[in-house]
Amino acid sequence: MNNFSISLKAAKDVVVIMPRGYVNDLGAERLEHTCEQYFDKGLKKIVINFSDMQHINSIGASVLTDIVQKTAEHRGYLCFTNMKKVHLDVFEMLGITKHVRVFKEEKDALSFLKDIG
Amino acid sequence: MKGRWDLKRLVFNLSSLVELGQEVTSSKGINEKMKTTLHVVTGMFSVPRAALLVYNSTRSSLEVLTYKGIRGMDGTRVYIKAKHIKTFKKNEPCSINEIKNNSFYEDNHDAFKRLQTKTFIPLFAKDEFVGAISLGNRLSRKSYLQSERDALKVIANQMSIALHNSNLFKKLTNKVTENKRLYENMRRIYHDTIQAFAAAIDAKDVYTKNHSYRVARYAVAIARELGWGEKDVEGIYVAGLLHDIGKIILDRGVINKGEELTIMEITEIRKHPQISYDILSKIKFPWKDVVDFVRHHHERVDGKGYPDSLMEADLSDGVKILALADAFDAMTTDRPYRRKLHLLEALREVRKCLGTQFDGRISRVFFRVLQKEIKGEVREAQIIPHLDKDFDPTIITTLLEGITAELSA
Repeated sequence: MNNFSISLKAAKDVVVIMPRGYVNDLGAERLEHTCEQYFDKGLKKIVINFSDMQHINSIGASVLTDIVQKTAEHRGYLCFTNMKKVHLDVFEMLGITKHVRVFKEEKDALSFLKDIG
Repeated sequence: MKGRWDLKRLVFNLSSLVELGQEVTSSKGINEKMKTTLHVVTGMFSVPRAALLVYNSTRSSLEVLTYKGIRGMDGTRVYIKAKHIKTFKKNEPCSINEIKNNSFYEDNHDAFKRLQTKTFIPLFAKDEFVGAISLGNRLSRKSYLQSERDALKVIANQMSIALHNSNLFKKLTNKVTENKRLYENMRRIYHDTIQAFAAAIDAKDVYTKNHSYRVARYAVAIARELGWGEKDVEGIYVAGLLHDIGKIILDRGVINKGEELTIMEITEIRKHPQISYDILSKIKFPWKDVVDFVRHHHERVDGKGYPDSLMEADLSDGVKILALADAFDAMTTDRPYRRKLHLLEALREVRKCLGTQFDGRISRVFFRVLQKEIKGEVREAQIIPHLDKDFDPTIITTLLEGITAELSA
């Protein structure tokens, strides 16, 4: 029913999450639960690579808002990468990008997170 | 630049409102529907923590239906009095600071703290208070612009209607369940009353204890085998229970007389189907033809029955079933004037009377269902449990197969 999936790449103290498809219904909550699980394990650095994300709506934005909030609660680092302009515009408009680090490429985010130790 | 952002914002908000409309009118359950709509609202305004509460008028409280971004909200309640509800502006968002001096806030300080409420939106469907939305801080920590408050009001209107409809549906469902329960109770009382009548009828005749009950059971077995629907089966069951109700006003001495009856007495006894009809025709039964079955249960297919001497073509299947069931039980039970017949003899007697007393098609169905009961091929036997156990199943089965083959030829 929903056209959403996620794939994960975990390495040392960073996890890269790649949402795929449409982040437009409650199925997107899996993204939030995945982040929560890593925070609960003590991991604090999360990269979300949006290169395979097709569409995001207010429900998807709500889920990302939750992730931003939880990252702050856990004093973690959240990076968004490989965003299409249309998605970046939505996140900027909603004020989400003020609370995350946005990078053009995934490797840039990983390099940034490596530097902060 | 600002104009471009305003336009993008407008498009995003409009598409969010469309999504909200789709959710509200979807066929999802109320919990999922409300959770999704709550996400739409919080996504539109970047609110990480929020909850939707429904009003429980019995408990005078708002109860959490769904929430996001907050832990452990289940069971959280906000107590609310009618005087507070009156002060709310319908579907208008209000800052928590605006109600901080209100006793409503003071009474629920802990609950609001747990909910992290910063904006409270009371939900009204027309004039009925149905719930509230609790919104926490926005990511930006900014307060809402007037245009955003207007959008929140539109959303609140939609959500309140969805909640109201859900409440109506719940009330309706409860009403239907209650009515079903009442109907079942009445039905049980109705059946109990009919059973009591049947017992009263049978008590009149010491030789025919439980006769009405057995006739009802036999009739049910034949009707089911004929493929009747359950409602019609219930109808013939009731007709079986009440078919002799007219005997209630007959002289007990005549009914129980152990020797040959006089012509006067026979004439008297033969009045009972008509009397039964006269009694039962005053009742509006929920099943069709009950009184017809009762009136004609002593008719014969050769037209020599009573009270109306109807011919085969004028007799309904129900009448033919009841006539056979009644006669078969009379044959297989002791009567004041003769001993009961053995099952083998009774079946031969039925066979002998085909085309005169009994209808051939209905009798074939009777033989078939009896065979099935002997072989254990029916879920619930209706005939065999009431017969004497002194018959040999193999002999009876052979006889029934022989009769069936003969009739089919």
